[in-house]
Amino acid sequence: MNKSRIRSLALWLLAGLLLLVWAFPVLWALMTSFKSERDVLAYPPTFFFTPTLDNYRAVIFGASSILHNLWSSMVLSSWTTLLTMLFAVPAAYALARLHYPGKRSSGFYVLATQMLPPMGLIIPYYLVLQKIGGLDTYSGLTAIYLSFSLPFAIWLMVSYFEDIPYEMEEAALLDRAGRVRTLWYVILPQVRGGIAVTTIFVFLNAWNEFLFAVVLGGNHVRPVTVAMFNFISVEQTQWARLAAGAMLAMAPVILIGLAAQRHIVKGLTVGAVKGGGRR
Amino acid sequence: MRHLTSSGGAAKAPRADAAHGARTLASQERRFALFLLAPALLVLIVTTTIPLIYLAWNSVHRIDLGMPWLSGFAGLENYVQMSGDPRFWNSLWLTLIYTSSTVVLQVVIGLSLALLVLQIPKGQGVLRVATILPIVLAPVVVGLFWRTLVLAPDFGLVDLVTRSLGLGSYSWLGDPQLALISVIAIHTWQWTPFAFLVLLATLATLPPDVYEAARLDRANAWQRFVHITLPLIRPAIVMVVILRMMTALSAFAAIFAATGGGPGSATEILNLYAYRTSFSELNLGYGASLAMVLMGITLAISYLMFRMRKAR
Repeated sequence: MNKSRIRSLALWLLAGLLLLVWAFPVLWALMTSFKSERDVLAYPPTFFFTPTLDNYRAVIFGASSILHNLWSSMVLSSWTTLLTMLFAVPAAYALARLHYPGKRSSGFYVLATQMLPPMGLIIPYYLVLQKIGGLDTYSGLTAIYLSFSLPFAIWLMVSYFEDIPYEMEEAALLDRAGRVRTLWYVILPQVRGGIAVTTIFVFLNAWNEFLFAVVLGGNHVRPVTVAMFNFISVEQTQWARLAAGAMLAMAPVILIGLAAQRHIVKGLTVGAVKGGGRR
Repeated sequence: MRHLTSSGGAAKAPRADAAHGARTLASQERRFALFLLAPALLVLIVTTTIPLIYLAWNSVHRIDLGMPWLSGFAGLENYVQMSGDPRFWNSLWLTLIYTSSTVVLQVVIGLSLALLVLQIPKGQGVLRVATILPIVLAPVVVGLFWRTLVLAPDFGLVDLVTRSLGLGSYSWLGDPQLALISVIAIHTWQWTPFAFLVLLATLATLPPDVYEAARLDRANAWQRFVHITLPLIRPAIVMVVILRMMTALSAFAAIFAATGGGPGSATEILNLYAYRTSFSELNLGYGASLAMVLMGITLAISYLMFRMRKAR
């Protein structure tokens, strides 16, 4: 009795510690974003302060406005997501369901491209885009974002297509529905959830991308991740503004992450769960 | 378009001969697969395979944007230079330390936490939300948060703790050794939740009756863990290790934001060195050869992964 009470107390303490370690830095940043610069540099750091919206005003309307960068991220991530899904969904269906020669090796190829570290691709991208005038353009960066979003999306979609019972499409095909119509009217409605989750993940990954954006972007195409980085070199000690900017920049992914939290584990393990049977 | 019409026609045509019908169905399926797959494969070839070939080509050239007149074919010059470059060996060594320590820490901490949290009957949902936060944040923002709010001397959270414990204040990102520990801590902080969530999900699916049997056999907690839990979750651990290695090998933004590879080259893992060489020192040829080494390491690990998956 007593022993189990101590045990559950210890467990709760541990859970509290977990929350502290992982959630606190983010909450701390959120708090900092409402502090005046004076409160930020108070020692010891203070939890009680008069909240101010000055920092948000500065990063929205002021000289250090990141609205343009939010727009940049939005355009880039939306185009990437749209194109990725257009290419990935049909390809994933073929990989998951159809029989054709070279199926194994094509699946292998897609998986291998997912492993590529971005640093291995950035130099060729830079040289090529420079030659064809594609630096600092949305089309150039979108094309390059496909290199990491497409393999990921294909494999995530494959795992959803595999969950559909074979009988459904067999029945549709026996009814002479035709392959295109079967895919469109019978299969796709079944993977609506999977398409939603994949869309969210592709968008999130594109939004958070940094290396390609910092090298291949510029004054025209400058996503929020790059803007945040520049912030610290320009406004060294303006942490409150940095925090406010970061909160705005990360608001979309935080909201998406919280909304899709149940699917996060599946999305993060894509590719690895494949091959060894389902899970 | 041809595929569309032909496949539609085949489906509507009356089935004359069963064997013939099966054959047309199979070839129709092949064409349909090609029609669906070709666009995606084409995009991947253009955005990954061709750039990699171009990377290899660049790595045997002198491309120095600061001195463009020196550009030209260099043979293996870049690789020879690399073998005698202490900064390269340092970065390789740091990559090894960074990758292995972050992966081990993530799995050990993640697994311990998952085992403990599994005992908590309520409130797992809150914990999941809290641990998902770091995963969805952009690594560059995580690096900036840590550089300012967490690790800054005097005003940062870590200094607040060490000072109140009477351990004093440290320049966490300014001292070479502390900086390396710091960037490892940042990566571990951001990605341990991944290991935790995956292993927690795996542990939750384990059949309870096995444990009952073991308990009846008077196996203690540690024996149950080693002989039952561990073998059952081995595939999940292997998967986590592989995925975490890949992430660690392509780690860039968080370190770049927190230390920029410094102080000096104290946190300059291979990614950072390749970046600095290519885009700060504008020596793209040498940068390409460094990137080739990175590709080689990734390739070796992917190969291992495929082997392991086959074995499973």
